[in-house]
Amino acid sequence: MHDAEGRRAGGAADAVDGVVPRWVAEPASQEGVARTLTQAAADGHSVLVQGGGTKLGWGPRLETIDVLLRTGRLNEVVAHRHGDLTATMQAGTTLAATNERLGQYRQWLALDPPDSTRATVGGILATNDAGPRRHRHGAPRDLIIGMTLVRADGVTAQSGGIVVKNVAGYDVARLLTGSFGSLGVIVDATFKLAPLADASRTVVVELSDAPLVAAYATDLLSRGSTPAAIELATDPLRVILKFESLESVTAGQAEEAMALATSHGGVGQLLDADAQDQFWTGHERRVFAEEGTLLKAVVMPADLASSLSWLDEAAASRGLSYVLTGQAALSVLHLRLMGPAEQQAALVSAWRERLTLGRGSVVVRRASAELKALTDVWGPLGDTFEVMREVKRRFDPRATLNPGRGPGGL
Amino acid sequence: MTSEFIDELERRIGSEAVVRDQGELLTYESDGLVSHRSRPGVAVLPQTVEQVQAVVRACHEADVPFVARGQGTGLSGGALPHPEGVLIVMTRMNRVVEIDIPNERVTVEPGVMNLEVTRQVAPHGYYYAPDPSSQVICSIGGNLAENSGGAHCLKYGFTVHHVLGAEAVLPDGTLVHVGGAAVDTPGLDLLGVLVGSEGTLAVVTKVTLRLLRRPESVRTLLAAFDSTDDAGNAVSDVISAGIIPAAIEMMDRTTIRAAEAAVQPGFPDAEAVLIVELDGHQAEVAAQFEQIEAISAKNQGWGVQVARDDAQRGRIWMGRKAAFAAMGRVSPSYYVQDGVIPRSRLPEVLRRIRKLEQDSGLTIGNVFHAGDGNLHPLVCYDDAVDGQAELAEQVASEILSYCLDVGGSLTGEHGIGADKACHMPKMFTDDDLATMQRVRVAFDPKGLCNPDKLFPTPRLCGEVPGPYRAHPAEAAGLAERV
Repeated sequence: MHDAEGRRAGGAADAVDGVVPRWVAEPASQEGVARTLTQAAADGHSVLVQGGGTKLGWGPRLETIDVLLRTGRLNEVVAHRHGDLTATMQAGTTLAATNERLGQYRQWLALDPPDSTRATVGGILATNDAGPRRHRHGAPRDLIIGMTLVRADGVTAQSGGIVVKNVAGYDVARLLTGSFGSLGVIVDATFKLAPLADASRTVVVELSDAPLVAAYATDLLSRGSTPAAIELATDPLRVILKFESLESVTAGQAEEAMALATSHGGVGQLLDADAQDQFWTGHERRVFAEEGTLLKAVVMPADLASSLSWLDEAAASRGLSYVLTGQAALSVLHLRLMGPAEQQAALVSAWRERLTLGRGSVVVRRASAELKALTDVWGPLGDTFEVMREVKRRFDPRATLNPGRGPGGL
Repeated sequence: MTSEFIDELERRIGSEAVVRDQGELLTYESDGLVSHRSRPGVAVLPQTVEQVQAVVRACHEADVPFVARGQGTGLSGGALPHPEGVLIVMTRMNRVVEIDIPNERVTVEPGVMNLEVTRQVAPHGYYYAPDPSSQVICSIGGNLAENSGGAHCLKYGFTVHHVLGAEAVLPDGTLVHVGGAAVDTPGLDLLGVLVGSEGTLAVVTKVTLRLLRRPESVRTLLAAFDSTDDAGNAVSDVISAGIIPAAIEMMDRTTIRAAEAAVQPGFPDAEAVLIVELDGHQAEVAAQFEQIEAISAKNQGWGVQVARDDAQRGRIWMGRKAAFAAMGRVSPSYYVQDGVIPRSRLPEVLRRIRKLEQDSGLTIGNVFHAGDGNLHPLVCYDDAVDGQAELAEQVASEILSYCLDVGGSLTGEHGIGADKACHMPKMFTDDDLATMQRVRVAFDPKGLCNPDKLFPTPRLCGEVPGPYRAHPAEAAGLAERV
């Protein structure tokens, strides 16, 4: 039986992480989301929010699910104001569908996190997930300009607006970005967009060791090169550059990058248009689409080379293997780690010990139940954790919204 | 404010850091929004974070409100003192703590001037991107509180995009570290909400900023147009061509003439001028610059000036940045407004403003960040004429309602502060505001940290916002307005 909100009893097909939800709600409107949350609050039910479901394995292990709220029916591009370079999407719209629509005017939502055909705007915001071109365009928190959200008590609120420049009121939209659904359910979001580039070229540079990788990246950028992405990858160790601009500009910059590779003792390879799409898909899948633990580590840019060298040694000595990609200049690393869980836990804790709070972090994203039991998935959150806890308490006093899934287990 | 409380402050941080003289306290009675004045109960000038904590703790214990103030250049009364409260003046906390070029970071105390950051790192080929027009005399602490922008935020974003971490004293005196020096710090994005919270959540005592490399190439063009519609269409064409310039600024005839009278930048006498600046990789800038020139010509642009060197670029920008102060040459007083519209709605909003100009009989100059739709209409009036100040204020309010009618915002960069708190219900519902209040009480359950700002309160909204008058620093030629 469905009610107006598409609410029905959960079945085996709805299971998340092996847990069958008692109820599944698929509201088709903002009002429907509000009614679902009001009902859940009245029933004392907890609510788990699901977009594309690509990141439901992140965070702590689920015990029970009272209400699974799916955003899949909220899947419209509400407005594309192409003259203003902004667009508003409902939370359940996938990134791929969004960009297909925006592409009609040669614009895009400049985010390229993994799994764009399944990952939704709401899920990408909730996790502040970004990809290679974060180097040029920033993360979701940098691009969001407005949001409609429904609080745990069913009250709908807006933050920001539809203009790119706006300092009226607290930036609640930014606060919800990266909150892992712990503060409210995102119904729709407005972003500033970027124009699609005329041309694009990819250069893959193989280098023999981590210090060379760091030196090459620094040298390239100090010469005025302006890649849209400057990625790292291991096995083999390499730097991958994506240039996006006018045809003549990308050609010139790619050539400069190739020449510089040679002078750093590396081997550069220029990919043509078809080859590069395939390459980038493969680059993403190597970490995100295969089995293993998923870690996100952030280090200071000047520590990139030493971190990579340490990691190599630390993994080998514990009998672990890994595949790594990441944004070189930002020093954001994504690792897929394989090997015994207790050794993985030991590596995570050894890495955290190397890092000063605020100058680096290691977060366990996807992991086996065994590893999640052995390690704190978030690691230390510093002296603001009490404030975070207070924010959570004020937004969701009964802790019914995505319980335990917020940062630090909020 | 009891003298016992002031004595207590002196015991905690030393009498040399406490200003209790009523005459001296007058110095602090307003920020850049001089129409709002209020003498603080007492002012303190801490030099260390421990002193800031000691003051805030004392306030917390005694339930005394406090307001942090930087250089006092803000235009929304965000640093307006509380008559029964402590004004925490941060200007003595002005040390550059660390310049970390390999990591492209700098850590400063909040009293460091915006432009000083760039001065410090320029020899290394870096700069700090946010550039409010007052950057010579505005401090980083105030920039963080207001999420300051500037002419170049079209491409580079606002303060929130360039602050990575802040050390801050919570309203109960606890010292916390929000964000960090790394590009991401796990946890709720408290930094994202602290930046732009107008000093209502905490007192910031240290800030870590991201630096950018100086672009390889910068090119600046000025073009004149016979109508603001043509200029507006040129802006739209630039955006449609997929070009994101570092800046696109527009001035109308009134402000062009004022700027010309004040600083003689050599602008053509036209209905509108556009200033377009491109920066980045040399080949890209060169190619896009040609497109800009073609777009300008297509929209009947004339009198094109292309900056040949830094001196000429400086002259063009001087003309733009002097526009506000220059209005003093053509009008005894003026009210400066800060509203935002979706950029594509520029022509219709300008038409409404022109109609308002005719109907009210007051001259309205327009300067704006055309690329991002941030308008700064300047409503001219004469204080000596009975009722004109009130009329000017009504006109300025009316312009705000035009902005909201097309889906815009009450403020793009000056903030809500004391000035626009009563306008907030025009843009946000009670539920929106109540949701923001949940953030407020999470940080500041007692409501002592910069009270009566940002949120509408009956006490505040019984009062009427006043007209613009020149800030003392501005009048002295030390500051200009965006």
